Order: sequence, then C-alpha cells, then structure tokens
Amino acid sequence: MDMYLASVLTNMTLIAFLALSAYLVLVVGEVSFGQQAFFGIGAYITASATALAGAHVFWGLLAGAIGGASCALVLGLLTIRLSGIYFAISTLCFAELLRFFLLHLRFTQSVDGRIIGPDGPEGFSNIRWIFENNYQVTDFLLLAVTCLIILLIVLFSLERSPIMLGARMVGNDPILAQSQGLNPTRYRLSFITLSGAVAGFGGGLFALFNTHIEPAMFGVMLGIHGLAYAVIGGLGSAIGPLLGVFLDIGLLESIRSLAAYRMIIFGGLVALLLVFRPEGIISPRLVSHLKSRWRNRHV
Amino acid sequence: MDMLQTSIDGLMIGSTYALLGLSFALVFGIMRRINLAFGACLLFGASLAIYLEPILGWGAWGLFFVTIVGVALASAYVERLCFAPHSKRHGAVTAMIASFAVWMQLDEISSQLLPQRTHAFQGIEVPNLWWGEVFVRGDQLLHFVIALVSILVLYLLLYKTRLGLLIRATADSPETAHLLGARVPWLGFIIFLLAGILGGLAAFMILSADGYVTPLFGLWSTFKGLIAMIIGGVGSLTGAVIGGLILGLVETHAGAVLGAEFRDMVTFGLVFLVLIIRPGGLMGVKIYRTDSLAQERV
Amino acid sequence: MYSLHGIGKSFGGIDVLTDISLTLKPGQRLGITGANGVGKSTLINVATGFLKPDSGHIQLNNKTLTHQPAWAFAQAGIQRTFQSTRFLITANLGEQLLLAARAPESKRRLAKLIELSGLQASLHLFPDEIPLPMLRKAEVIRGLAASPEVLFLDEPSAGLTAIELDQFGVFLQQNLGQKTALVVVEHRFDFMLMITDSVVEMQLNRGLVEKGTDVKT
Repeated sequence: MDMYLASVLTNMTLIAFLALSAYLVLVVGEVSFGQQAFFGIGAYITASATALAGAHVFWGLLAGAIGGASCALVLGLLTIRLSGIYFAISTLCFAELLRFFLLHLRFTQSVDGRIIGPDGPEGFSNIRWIFENNYQVTDFLLLAVTCLIILLIVLFSLERSPIMLGARMVGNDPILAQSQGLNPTRYRLSFITLSGAVAGFGGGLFALFNTHIEPAMFGVMLGIHGLAYAVIGGLGSAIGPLLGVFLDIGLLESIRSLAAYRMIIFGGLVALLLVFRPEGIISPRLVSHLKSRWRNRHV
Repeated sequence: MDMLQTSIDGLMIGSTYALLGLSFALVFGIMRRINLAFGACLLFGASLAIYLEPILGWGAWGLFFVTIVGVALASAYVERLCFAPHSKRHGAVTAMIASFAVWMQLDEISSQLLPQRTHAFQGIEVPNLWWGEVFVRGDQLLHFVIALVSILVLYLLLYKTRLGLLIRATADSPETAHLLGARVPWLGFIIFLLAGILGGLAAFMILSADGYVTPLFGLWSTFKGLIAMIIGGVGSLTGAVIGGLILGLVETHAGAVLGAEFRDMVTFGLVFLVLIIRPGGLMGVKIYRTDSLAQERV
Repeated sequence: MYSLHGIGKSFGGIDVLTDISLTLKPGQRLGITGANGVGKSTLINVATGFLKPDSGHIQLNNKTLTHQPAWAFAQAGIQRTFQSTRFLITANLGEQLLLAARAPESKRRLAKLIELSGLQASLHLFPDEIPLPMLRKAEVIRGLAASPEVLFLDEPSAGLTAIELDQFGVFLQQNLGQKTALVVVEHRFDFMLMITDSVVEMQLNRGLVEKGTDVKT
C-alpha cells in the first residue's frame, strides 16, 4: 500500500476516535467543546507510559483511556447541574485549563542520549515505540483499524441494547426519560466518562503514530472538528461520525488540486448539506426506519 | 497609581469586549443561538478593508467603514445559510455546526485576501492624553466613547422604537410575537445585522489599537465575546456589557501581576468558576434545569 | 396505597396549591375536574414528582417520595401520561414501548396490551405517523406495561372525537386491572363518569371538593 494513502487512512482512524467521543456526548443531549483535552491527556499518558516507563503498548493505551475517562468524569461531576450552552462553555474552559497544565508540564529524562518526556510548550518528543518495534505505517494502520473495529463492535452492541435508546431519550426529552424511570444524571455521567475513555485511547494511538506531541496540537479547533464530523455524519449510529471524518479528510485529500480553495468549497457544502439534512447524513430517524424495514423484510 | 493605570487600560479594552459580548448576547438572548462564525465574520471584514484600502485610498476611516460593512455582509450571509433554515427549537446544534463550517470558509477567504501572517491595520490619529500620572491613549479613548455611544444607541433602539419592542417580544416568546404580527424570521436577520455592526465596530477598535491583524483574530474574538457574555449572564444585554468590562479589568490586572502567560489561564479559570458556582452570571440569569417544569407547559 | 398530604406549591408569590390532600387505594378510580388554570396540571406534576412541593409530603406504601426526583417516582410505580402525547420522534413506536417494559412479566403484559389495542400494525411507524387516538392508547399502554401502583392521566380526551373517546374509555376499563389506581384530570364530564368511581373538583383556594357520582353537569 502506498505510504501516503496509509498515513491518510491512519489519520482518519485516529480522528475517528475523537469524533466518536463527541458523538457519545451528543447522544445524551449535550455539546462538548472539550474532547480534544481528553485526547491530549491520553496522548501524554500513553507517551509517558511507553517512552518513559517502558510499559507494553497495551498498558500504555489502557492507561491513556483511563486517564481520559478520569478527566471526563471529573468534568462531568463538576458540571453536574449544567446543560446546554453552560455545559458547552465549561467544557471549553476545562479543556483550555488542561492544555495550560500541559504547557507547563516538565518531566524529562535522558534515555540513550535522547531527551524524553513532556517538556512544556516544546511537547513530548521521541515517542519511539514504533521505531523500537519496527512498525511500518501500514502495520500501525492495521493496529489502529483493529482497535477502531473493536470499539465499533462495543458501540454497536450498545446500540442494540435499551441503554442507547435510553440515552437518546435522555438527550432528546429528559422529561419523557424521567417518566420512563430513567435517571438522566446517571446516563450523562456514564456517557461523558465513556467519551473520555474513547478520546483518551485515540489520543494514545495518536501519540504513538506521531512520535511527537505538543499542547498546541490539542486546541479548540481539533475538538470542534471532531464535533462537526459527528453532527455532519449523523447521530443515528456510530457509523455517522466515521462518515463525517471520511468526508472531510478523505474526500478533501483527494481533491488536492483545489487545495487553496478547499475550505471555501467544503465549508459552503457542509452548511448547505445541513440545510437539507439537519440531523446529519445518518440521522436517527433514518436508522430507525432502516431497522424496522429490515425487521419486516419478509412481510 | 499603577493600579489606576491598569484599571483604565482594562476599561478601555473592556469596552471593546463589551461590544463583542453584546453581539453574542443579542444572538443568544433573542434567538437562543451561538454564532461560531462570528469571529470569522470580523476577520473577513477587517481583511476586506485592508484589501480594498489601496483601491479606495480612504485611510483609517476607510478601514472603519469597510470593516463594518464587510462584517455586516458576512453576518447576513451566515444568518441566511446557517441560522434561518434551522429556526426550530431543536435546530440549535445544527445551526451552530453550520456556522462552524462557514467559519472555516470565511477564514480561508480572509487568508486569500491577506496572504501574509501579519498585516498592518491603520488606526485613527488622535493625540494622547496625560491625566496627572495616568496615560490614556487618544485613539483608545475615542474608541471607548464610540463604544459607549453605540451601546446607548442600541438601548434606544431596543427600548424606544417599535422594532426594538418586536425584538424584545421575540426574545420572550417567539410564538406570541409571531401571533402579534412580528415577522420573526426577518427579525433574526435584523438581529444578526445589529450584532455584525457592533462586532465590526469592536473589530476596528481592537485592530487599530493593536496596529495589526493576524489570522488568529477570528478565534480570539469569538472566545472574548463568549466569555464576556457568560460572565455577565448568558443572554443578558446589560450583563454582556458589564461582563466585557470586567473581563477587560481582570485580564489587564492578571497580566500586570502574573505576566501575559497566566493571563489567559486566569480568564478561563474565572469563567469556569462562574459556571460552576453561579451559572447565571452576574445578572443571575435563570438557567433552565432539565427537571424543572416551570419553564415548560407539560 | 398512595397519599398526598398537605401539599402546597406557589409560583412567584401566587399560591397555586394550598393544603391539598389525597389518598388512593389500589384499584381506585378518581376523577379530578376544575376550571382552567386552577392548578390541575400543577397537581399532577407534583404528584408524579416533576415539580417539588413547597410543603407537605407524598407517600407510596409507607415510602416517602416527596423530594425524590421524577424518575424515582416512575421507578416506584407512579406512571403518567402527558397533555400532548410525549414520544421520541426519532424511534418507532415498537422500540419505545419495549423500553417501558424491562422485566419479563412486563414484556408479556405489554404484548397482550398491544394485541388488545390493535396497535400491532403501527409498531413500525414513527409517532408522527400515527393518529392521535392510537397514540393516546400507546401512552396508556406504555404506562401500564410495568403494572404501576398509580396511573395519572392528564387531559386524555383532548383532541379526540366523541366516538374515539368512547372507545378509549372502554379500552381503559378493560385493561386497568385490579391493582392500579387511576387518577384522571379531565374536562369532559361524561367521559370521566364512565371511567371513574368518584369525582372531585379542584377549586381556587379551596382545594379538592367532593363531587360524588350523581352530579348533573
């Protein structure tokens, strides 16, 4: 496989984790501008675990996911009474505060003559796991895609369970949800925490792939992009955010000839798309419709 | 005396933040929407102004005029494409993401107009003032006065004209306003124009005081406007003005005491605290709780 | 047994509910009537946990529910319908009814209720594709699936024709069961007489006043 193609696909896979984490928060009816912070925390933790502590990549990624989940849980608890724009802005502030913390995090060691460890604004260089293990881009792509598929399996089985419908009910109509005996707070906290885990894991993979991370990479723009992919792709299913990622990174990369005007065209197209499909391409209604047609296919 | 100097500087810049906050408060308070493309509209207006400057040759006042017109045009475009089609209650997130897409679009257009990272932005030549030991920049004082006048004009518009009455009625209850004859979609357009004009004013003031414009200006001004609105109380116009002034004061003092680096952290920390402790902001705007039926007819 | 005792609720200085008390035995059928704006909806909202009373308490089988969140009321067995039927518009009817029936006996009961109501054919439809009388039945079924202690109906006749209302009344009579107590807030007196054993009227500043079943409209 062509190196360039493999690296584009890997990027798409990594950003998919971010988009899915935004999706999980959207499902319970909230908007988060802060998922990039969990992505970044996961990146730093996985980098530290593998490069500084020499841990196996599995534990490193797991630690990244747990780190992301923990931060998300803290945020969820602090903002337990907030919703709507108040919640959204507080996620933004939380993310920027976390990023500020990373900007001042300094913990370097010299290993084999190289400086390893978070070094403030310079970031964390020499995350050498892929070199040490002789991973080519295509190998890493395989790893990333495998992880994504496992995540999708989890999300799809969640989708089929009453948990997801309950979450959607909490997100769409909390009063209705309560009348059905659903505790909105519990759903919110669970999904926000889960979203942190997903973002943290993706961030861990990102750190390994990039071999260098710095706080500037995890700014607001990254988070809003992830959010946009989820909204554009549609909230009906976990495939939606993937579609959003594919449309932006995938299609746009392929029209490189228009590189200069890319955003002008794409931005306009997205806004236009939303006029005609306000709930995204793979909207909840569409999925429900398809599901019942499938069930009644023999009728 | 230092504190006084810092405070005056803070108020000067705070007055521009007040205008930014007002823009957001107008759109959120009346239409319950967040325009993420706001900063990009400002950047577009400024870029257009600099781009046309050699052609028009009107100097600083030309920049003033074109910036405002440019921002107003961009705001109208954003309203038509991103907000008018999603005016139902549940369209809030879709409208916001659509405005994000246009943000990207406008940012790209702006960098086509201004390809270099930094461009000079000419200000209005006004002599500086010394008031005892306190130094006041002439142009900033002029801006402060313009900001005050604009805010006054806005209040007059909202409280003394029929249009203003329609706007306030729509803020309270769009359905009732519609029944009473207000053309609600058209009003949305007017609101965006108003917000654009205020934003354009603020953009001109900030950029001419700094003397230059960079591509980061869009994101930066969006942040400032949102934060000013939150501190004062989401959707409250008076709150946005006070919030902007306070933001300016807090920022300038934090910068003076802790250095430029910690200045932003203090700002975000302050907003986060406000949200956790008193989400309604200074004006104590009532926030809707998910389990309260007082706001909903069930 | 469900009881409200000494319930008071005011909004911005206006006392909407003053010292309201009510006791329900299993299987009891109570109607609440009253003029517009007298506080009937507020009463339902308080009784089902969606609004918190300023004074008084609410008890179900010796368990105090007064300051529990609304979902706790629902889990304890207090179900309700809404004035304008409340459903998700993004999921079909079948999925939403299933969500209300989590235990196996509830699923069985739900299946039977669906069959009896004739909603079988509509399960794959979205709520905005289903006519109102069927939706109201669906709302009731959703409430009855878990065999609740009390079912509150909030103006169920709104939007129904006389014939549809009659059918709805018959449906209720046949499916409520012995255990579930019913409280109906309603304007239409004839309908209320059909499905309740006794009626009280909510009056401004006087609370709930006994009406009996032999009242002529």
